[in-house]
Amino acid sequence: SGPSDSSSGEGSRARRAVERPGRHKQQGGRRRGAMSILEYNGSALVAMTGKNCVAIASDTRFGAQQLTIGTNMKRVFKMNDKTLLGLSGLASDVMTVSQKLRLQTDMYKLQEEREMKPSVFNNMLSSFLYARRFGPYFVEPLVAGLEGPENKPFIAGQDLLGASVFTDDFVVCGTSEQELFGTCESFYKPNLGPDELFETIAQCMLAAVDRDCLAGWGGVVHILTPTKYIVKELKGRHD
Amino acid sequence: WPEARGRPSCSDGGAWGRRRREREAQEAQEARRPRARTTMGSRYDSRTTVFSPEGRLFQVEYALLAIEQAGACVGVLAKDGVVIAAEKKTTSKLLAPPKTSEKLYMIDDHVACAVAGLTSDANVLISYLRRVAHNYKLQYQEPQPLEQLIQRVCDLKQGYTQFGGQRPFGVSFLYAGWDRHYGFQLYQSNPSGNYGGWKATAIGPNNQAASSLLKKEYKDECSIEEALKLSVKVLNKTMDSVTPTPDNMEFSVLRMNEETKKLVQHKMSNEEVQALLDELKQEEEEEKAREEAKAAK
Repeated sequence: SGPSDSSSGEGSRARRAVERPGRHKQQGGRRRGAMSILEYNGSALVAMTGKNCVAIASDTRFGAQQLTIGTNMKRVFKMNDKTLLGLSGLASDVMTVSQKLRLQTDMYKLQEEREMKPSVFNNMLSSFLYARRFGPYFVEPLVAGLEGPENKPFIAGQDLLGASVFTDDFVVCGTSEQELFGTCESFYKPNLGPDELFETIAQCMLAAVDRDCLAGWGGVVHILTPTKYIVKELKGRHD
Repeated sequence: WPEARGRPSCSDGGAWGRRRREREAQEAQEARRPRARTTMGSRYDSRTTVFSPEGRLFQVEYALLAIEQAGACVGVLAKDGVVIAAEKKTTSKLLAPPKTSEKLYMIDDHVACAVAGLTSDANVLISYLRRVAHNYKLQYQEPQPLEQLIQRVCDLKQGYTQFGGQRPFGVSFLYAGWDRHYGFQLYQSNPSGNYGGWKATAIGPNNQAASSLLKKEYKDECSIEEALKLSVKVLNKTMDSVTPTPDNMEFSVLRMNEETKKLVQHKMSNEEVQALLDELKQEEEEEKAREEAKAAK
């Protein structure tokens, strides 16, 4: 609805006294869609518990608003043999937070000579995020792991300031949060084995991201059992 | 100056003046007392920040003497890995068995170190080494090159020999590590802040005897197994105890796993150490038998 050449760009808009009514605010000819910084890159993550196992699934799209730049973005990180961390939100902060937390978990392991439990990791992450209360990291993390000697499944989700929520079924985050809530509520069943859990979480992820233009372009599922750590890639719609 | 700072209203110059007078009186008294002649040091050894007339830093040398009281450590560089061995000094049977080692520490995935000297000083430096190595890894997303890491901690140690008035750290380290620039490396550092790269070296008590034995027997480009055998032999020679047991020896091997192409730091279990000791004993007996046969001829 207007020429996108420089004559009607920012400079000439400043000179115009009155905005023409009915005209959307334009910037370089493209309408700014998502406004929140947490939605700039686009992401979708879900963590689920099974019988003696946990899984985190994520999409692999890396975008700049509507433009897709990469299709192999890593959002799920293995922190130690018993803990997985998934991060949604601003890609830059996803990288920074995962790297800084890796430092903390490595130092813990050297100093305490044991691995950090997932619940402890969750608390550390919470403190880490709250430390930046007035200039936060724009990430919403998920923690999934196997707790203690009995390897009890543990999952938790947090907001960008470190407020944790603990459940025993599933946690979701990202731009497809609402869609993921819907699919998980419908498909989730407790006490699924690793293979069934993989099927369930994969279907939840793929169905949800198909309704979200900012997430998708492939997916990946990380499954953690007491003896194995399996990573599987998902084939979904590339659009 | 104290005179100026002393409260003018007080007749004797206040607290500052009093302290100055006390110090002067003490120094005058000391000058009058006949000083006992010591073998080294005397007036130049109580502060790290002064050279002696011969150009020595006595505090650093005393720190090195402190290390002679600790357990010995030996390091041998092999073609495809590094071996560091340490003697554990069991002070008392009543001591609870330590959960962690007192001699061998991991700094990062690609660096391990052995300690000889004051364990408390070592703990401080090891925390520092770990912080430096991990902060480098955070910033550059790759493991820190070994020499850089050692330079950082040696710069710290050197500071304690030049300013601050605090005593040096009474620890020597052996570092075993790998980086993508120079492959497997072995380094040694001491309280002066000096460090050097070595093919084989020893620290702690009897390290001269150990070094001369290493000089004789070390072969360039040896394998890890040969390096292990050499380090067992050398450590045996430097230890006081007559019969060596796995309880008072520790071995750590840093090597590249062939299949996964990943670095592996392996602390040898008691059974593996026992196997090494048995092998050594067997070789020594064979050697003795050969000598006797030769002498009999």
